[in-house]
Order: sequence, then C-alpha cells, then structure tokens
Amino acid sequence: MADIPMRSRLRRYGTSYAMLLPFLALFAGFLLWPLANSLYLSFTKFDGINPAVFTGLDNFVQLAQDARFRHALGNTALYVVGSVVLGTLLSLCLALAFNGTGWLHRIMRTVFFLPSVTSSIALMLMWKWVLFPSDVGLANTIVGWFGGNAVAWLATPALAIPILVLMSVWGGMGYGMVLYVAGLGSIPEEYYEAAKIDGASTWRQFRHITLPLLRPVTTYVVVTGLIGAFQVFEAVYIVFSTGANTVGGVLDSGLMIVPYLYDQGFTHFRLGYASAIAWVLFLIIFVLSLVNLRVGRAMKEL
Amino acid sequence: MAVAPMDTIAPVQPPEHRAETGASRSSRINRHLLRLPFYLLSLTMIAPFYWLLITVFKPPRELAQTPPSFVPKSPTFDNFYDPDWTGQGVTGHLQGIFQRYQVDLGFWRFLFNSLFITTAITVGSLLICSLAAYVIAKHDIKGRRTIFLMIVASMMVPWQTTLIPNYVIMRNLGWLDSYAAYIVPALAKAFVLFFLVQFLQSIPNELIQAARVDGAGEWRIWWKIVLPLLRPALAAMSIFIVLAEWNNFLWPLIIVQSDEMANVPVALARLNSYFAGPDHQGAIMAGGLIASVPTIVFFLIFQKYFTRGIALSGLKG
Repeated sequence: MADIPMRSRLRRYGTSYAMLLPFLALFAGFLLWPLANSLYLSFTKFDGINPAVFTGLDNFVQLAQDARFRHALGNTALYVVGSVVLGTLLSLCLALAFNGTGWLHRIMRTVFFLPSVTSSIALMLMWKWVLFPSDVGLANTIVGWFGGNAVAWLATPALAIPILVLMSVWGGMGYGMVLYVAGLGSIPEEYYEAAKIDGASTWRQFRHITLPLLRPVTTYVVVTGLIGAFQVFEAVYIVFSTGANTVGGVLDSGLMIVPYLYDQGFTHFRLGYASAIAWVLFLIIFVLSLVNLRVGRAMKEL
Repeated sequence: MAVAPMDTIAPVQPPEHRAETGASRSSRINRHLLRLPFYLLSLTMIAPFYWLLITVFKPPRELAQTPPSFVPKSPTFDNFYDPDWTGQGVTGHLQGIFQRYQVDLGFWRFLFNSLFITTAITVGSLLICSLAAYVIAKHDIKGRRTIFLMIVASMMVPWQTTLIPNYVIMRNLGWLDSYAAYIVPALAKAFVLFFLVQFLQSIPNELIQAARVDGAGEWRIWWKIVLPLLRPALAAMSIFIVLAEWNNFLWPLIIVQSDEMANVPVALARLNSYFAGPDHQGAIMAGGLIASVPTIVFFLIFQKYFTRGIALSGLKG
C-alpha cells in the first residue's frame, strides 16, 4: 500500500469510516449506550418519570429476598432443563429417523419443521384454544374419549411448567432436526464402511462415529436452546397471563424471568428494579455464551 | 465457496439409505417399526394445526357446542368477515377478524404495519450491515479488529437487557407509538454483520482489487461487486430477519400505545385478552392463520437459502 500517494490514501480511509458510520452509530446508540445505562439504572430507584435516585446495591439485595423472583428463577430453571434436554434428544432422534431423500422423509421433515415458520403468536393462541378448560377444547375432548373429566389445563399450577415445556419442544424440535440432518450429511461415508469391515454393530457405529462427529451440532443446539429458553416471554404472556397483576398465571405458576421483568418494569414502573432483573439475565446468558466459546475452542483443539 | 451446497433440507448423502443397500427384508421392516413412534409423534404435530384450521371455518354457534365437530358441519367464511353482523346482540353472529378493530382499514392496517416494518428493517439492516461488513472484511483500516471483536462480543448480550433504557430513549425522542421506534433500533444487527464478514472472508480479494485498479470508487464496488457476491448470504439472513421481525412481540408491546400502531402479534394479543369465549375463537384463529401465511410463503420461496443458512450456523457453531 506504500506506493499509493498520501492524499488518495486519506480519501480511501475517509470512505471506509463513512461506510462504517451508519452501523457504528446505531450500534453505539441503541446497544452500547443502553447497556451501560441499564447497568447504572440497576443501582437506582427509577419510576420513569422522576430522575433516577442512586440506591447502591438495594435492588440486588431486594431481588435476593424477593419470593416472586426466586419463584421465577426456579420456574425458568425447570423449564430450561426440561425443554433443552427433551428438545435436543427428540431433534436427534427425528434427524436419525428422517434423514433420507425419499418423499416420505421429506414430508415428515416438513411437518416437524412447520412450527418454525409459522407465526409464533398464532401458535400460542392455537395452544390456548387447544387447552381450553371446558369440553369444547381439543385436549379435553381427547381426555373425554378415554373417559376422563375436563381438566383446567392452564389453571392447574402443577401443569404450568410441563405445558410450557411441551409447547417449547413441540415448536422447536423441527429446527434442531434440520441442524442434525445437516450434520449427518457431512459425515464421510468411508467411516461407516471401515467400521462395517471391522464388524462393528449399528449401535457401535452410532456410538463411536455418529455421536462424536455430531458433537459440534449438539453443542450448538444445546447452547442456543439454553439461551432461547432463558428468554421465554410470549408463551407465558399469551397463554398463561390472566390480567395485569397475574402475568405468570394462577399462583405465578408459569412466571419466568422476562415476564417478571416486564411485570416490574411496565406494569409497576419500577424501572430500576427491572434493570437489576435484566442484569441477572445478562449474567446468566453471558456465562452460557462463554461456556459455548470455550467448549467450541476445546473441540477445535481436539 | 467454502461450503458444500445444500439444496434442500435433504442431506448430501443419506447415511440411512447407504446401510439399506444390502439389507434383508426383515431388517427393512425393523427400520419402519423403529420409526413408528415418530410417525405417531407427527400426528401430535398435525393435530393442533388441524384444530386451528377447522376452527377458522366453523360459525360461532358450532364452536360453542360439545362435543366439538372434527369436520365443520356448516363451513363458512364468517370468521374473516360476517356480512350478517349488524351490531351487538344479533344472535349467532359475531364479527369476523376484519370487523373486530375500530381503526381505519381494521385488520388490514396491522398487516400493513407488520409488512412495512418488516420490509424496512430487512432492507435497511442488510444495506447497513453489508456496508460495515465490507469495510471490516476487505479494508485495511486501523481499529477494525477491535470494532469487530466488540460487535461479536455484543452477540452475547440478551437484547432484553437494553429494553428499559431503549424505552426511555424512545420516550425522550418522542418516538413512542411511531414506525421509527419499530425500525431504527433494529437496524444494526450484530449477528448479521458477523455472518456477512465470515462470508466475505471466503471471497478472494482479486475481484475487488481489479475494480480498484480500474478506478472504481468504494461505494461503487460495494454496490456493483460486493452486494451481488453476497447474494446467498443476504438471502439466508433476510429469512432470519423477516421471521424475527414479523413475530416481534415484546418490544412492540412496550412502544405501541394507540390502536392503529400495533403490529399483527400485538393486535392479536389484544383481541385474545378481550374475548375469551369459545365462540370468539373462530375470529382469533382466522387472525392467526392470516398472520402465518406470509412467513410460510416467504419460507417456501427461499427454502434453499434458509436451510443452508441454518446448516451453516450450526456446523460452524
């Protein structure tokens, strides 16, 4: 580059920065600055109208003692573990079952993938209607065939987390399946042929070739699944919320982190407190992402 | 191309069928038996969708009956628009989805809002992100590594963390309840930039160098060379953006105040909170069906790029 005269070099760099400017300006204005700002707000008492008052660690001390928040955390943990474990397992099984090129496999893949491209709000409203408490709902109609009485699905606290897990797995396993199918397609055929010559059983082929080579896909499916599950909001708000103060449904049985953040920030206007909740969420997801990076790097070194 | 093209959801070589070439008949039957639980599972996928579809075409009276019918007895389009509905209290008739809202154009207004917002964000963010990606991948400027690292690091931040400050910013700018509040904060997408930079790095520099030697300016190179080269990456990204923005709910829920500025998800959520009875479900499901058509059509058109984009993101981690 040294042979280029100074003036044109200046002009070229000027152009470079001009091209970067729109992205950087928006990135700084709507991500970096709000991020710093939310950290500051998490140490204040702020109702959105009067100026924020610095209160130190008060919000976090309060959070640690807040029974509703602990309930939300516990619910979220159960939901995350349930939906990620079940979802990943089923994604893998579906990919193994339907990774052919025949029409039947293709139709099956399309059927399982359908929720991924359907309006998510439509899916939530659909579930709410399927789980309708009286005999007109689909779920209770099926229960009726087996001689059971109508179940108040959404008003039974013990069923809230299982239902949320079910909805999440039902809607997400097709996406994971597509990832696994792509992963299966990238495994060289020679490995299986060599294993067969050595007389390895189908199970051993799966155990020692397929599974280890799918590890990067598994890592990706699990980590993105975890991150997504921690951020669940819509399912709770649309399917379970029964009014302004019961965002988590009956007895807060479906309360999770983000719905609680919304509840504190935008129905009670405790914006400082809600910012503290937002930072707890940030820490959880940041740690998960770091683990993902480290796992990814370790895999590359192997 | 660094990537093996994947033209459909189908893998390049299905391992399942390789094993079958020398398989005896009994093991083939075994294979189908093993799949049986998954065929049954597919029924649980189809059932709720079927339930939604039949609900859309049942009149309110039939929706309130038990046991529910599994084929609409008197199929009707009333849940979209009921010509016989003249006002409250007409028995057996309720408003269709296009009659439910008291805003100009009714439900069409929300479809327009969603379409306009989604299009603006998709086009705008692809232009802005591709410009920045071109500089980061192909320009030798000071600080580009630092900038790139910072942007990649920001992908670890859940967007809900910035929700409250962004709401305050919108309010201070006087943007609440406006298209600007939907669009402007959503333009700089870190994951799109990251994806485009990765894609550009696999493209040789010679093309760009040659254009520079020919005296083309940087803007011209971006428009005439970089964007066409990026086409498959832009297509893959556009589907992710369209799906995310079309379904965006929490942010609109917070910034929308008036009836007419809602997008489709917010409008449907409001309907859902006003009407809980089974006879109203027809109109609500009709709204859900209409909301799903654009994303499904969009997916079918760009299916090739979509599955490739998913596969790329998963295989690279």
